[in-house]
Amino acid sequence: MSSHTSHLREPLVTGNPALAQITEDIVGPLERPPTKLWLAGFGLATAVLGMWLVAVSYEIYNGIGTWGLNKTIGWGFDITNFVFWVGIGHAGTLISAILFLFRQKWRTSINRSAEAMTLFAVICAATFPLIHMGRPWFGAVWFVPYPNMRGPLWVNFRSPLLWDMFAISTYFTISAVFWFIGLVPDLATVRDRATTRIRKTIYGALSFGWNGSNKNWSNYETAYMLLAGLSAPLVLSVHTIVSMDFATSVIPGWHTTIFPPYFVAGAIFSGFAMVLTLLVIARKVMKLEHMITIHHLENMCKVIVATGMMVGLAYSTEFLIGWYSGSNYEGYTFFSNRATGPMAWSYWTMVSCNVISPQVFWFKKMRTNPTIIFIMSIVVNIGMWFERFVIIVTSLHRDYLPSSWAMYSPTWVEYTTFIGSFGLFFFAFLLFVRVAPVVAIGEVKAVARWAQKGSAHGH
Amino acid sequence: MHAQAHEPSTYLVGIFTEEDQIMTVTQAATDAGLPVYDTYTPYAVHGLDHAQKLPRSKVTFVAFFGGMCGFLTAALLQSYTQGITTPFLSGWPLNIGGKPYLPWTAFVPVFFELTVLFAGLSTAVGMFAINGLFPGKKAKLLIDGVTNDRFAIAIDPKGKNYDEAKVRGLFAAHGAAEVAFIGESA
Repeated sequence: MSSHTSHLREPLVTGNPALAQITEDIVGPLERPPTKLWLAGFGLATAVLGMWLVAVSYEIYNGIGTWGLNKTIGWGFDITNFVFWVGIGHAGTLISAILFLFRQKWRTSINRSAEAMTLFAVICAATFPLIHMGRPWFGAVWFVPYPNMRGPLWVNFRSPLLWDMFAISTYFTISAVFWFIGLVPDLATVRDRATTRIRKTIYGALSFGWNGSNKNWSNYETAYMLLAGLSAPLVLSVHTIVSMDFATSVIPGWHTTIFPPYFVAGAIFSGFAMVLTLLVIARKVMKLEHMITIHHLENMCKVIVATGMMVGLAYSTEFLIGWYSGSNYEGYTFFSNRATGPMAWSYWTMVSCNVISPQVFWFKKMRTNPTIIFIMSIVVNIGMWFERFVIIVTSLHRDYLPSSWAMYSPTWVEYTTFIGSFGLFFFAFLLFVRVAPVVAIGEVKAVARWAQKGSAHGH
Repeated sequence: MHAQAHEPSTYLVGIFTEEDQIMTVTQAATDAGLPVYDTYTPYAVHGLDHAQKLPRSKVTFVAFFGGMCGFLTAALLQSYTQGITTPFLSGWPLNIGGKPYLPWTAFVPVFFELTVLFAGLSTAVGMFAINGLFPGKKAKLLIDGVTNDRFAIAIDPKGKNYDEAKVRGLFAAHGAAEVAFIGESA
């Protein structure tokens, strides 16, 4: 085996595990009873999800008057959380689709969990505009253009909010399809190892009768590539359209043409931070350190530095234009309000978390230390939440008319709904790691062989 | 293909443990004109399509067709609901801030999203349909270990130029771990 080891580069999966060993490492944990750590995590997530249910039911029963919103600040925690969660989802598609198209083979160990993260993050995101409608049972239906008895009175296709509905629902659907197609051969692997009748039936039904036929693989690989090709522009469009919810308005601080690329860079930044948070825990708990290696974490830290500087550039561009445009309102919004006004603390939290602290990743020692990486990933998550808070709330609370200026103080319902959404996310994620292979078995096997043989085949 | 709807077919199967072996044995079998039915691998082995002389996948055409349908749907949906009145169906054109009724630039996001949605869904459905896979299907010709660590090649005994001795010789020459007749499950 050693004679085949590549001397040109580090292997992507360390230890040259035999193919059966890869199957055992990934599927084995699904077949054993859950560990105490998993049970504890799942219990905690369920409790937090319970909090979410209480807060959301209370809000729906009593109306959004239970939130701290007022006439001036019509969007607060709800839309901040929506943009926060959608942004997190983006890293999953970036890793699974864009890195696939760029032939970045290191993605194979992490793409499955990143895709799952996307799905659950988008679900968390979608709950916020829904409950924000106050009467979600109407709101959800009125967004859909169906033949109706209201005239027929149709939805307004010139509104970015409607574009957003199409973007988010398409994004969720395509991400789910992409994720499931990736799972089918792996579910067949689980099926063929199953010993109990119930596992055989469930995994048998879900694996669609997959038997590893190369005629099937041929079509499968084509479909996978097509979906990657479709997802790559899709993910860019989603956050572009989310940014248009703001950019097409006339509020200083929102009305900005750099919003689409700025939001996309921010989404990748926050998403990679969330992937790191999850993977640093998952590789430790599930003992997958030889598959999700320090090399993977290091690569992601490099992406964090790059995208962190991109958002830093966007923050400073906003100030430049605030001054250069000569518009009093723009200048006021950035210089007198955002950076030095009553909510300046949130602005400086954002800058220190997103622009200053990621600079530690210039040092290899920091990029390869899981503890530092974990702490930094949390810091970036906090910073990116504040970015959306700064954009939404500080822009709204002081606009053109001083007589309508107001302050925003969120209520316990908003805090609980936000914290509870993490319960929803981790509840779904922890269930996923128990029922489906958390690493793409087929793709890792292909990479493991490739690493053994070095670049002789040159794929 | 010699797909028998009622009688399950049996194939002469050679099972290997290495990716290289399945590549070379498949190449040799197709070069010798033996009736290769299919190969079975735990992951997509690059270059095996070529060795097996598989035609290009037709999924791309399905995706293109789906994408076109999505674009058309978006175009019809938006132009009908936003401003066009026909003798049979009439919408309710809304004047929003004096903007044009049919601003195609404002329609671009939905054009794009529905094109991607329809193309993606038809890619998935098309791939499963072309492969004959569906939820709850029982795997046909399931060779032990091919979803784990084995690579297999199946030769069709009813095919043209079939010669059992030759096939067995070829399998042995490429280091087959196991050679057996394996039937499809009914």
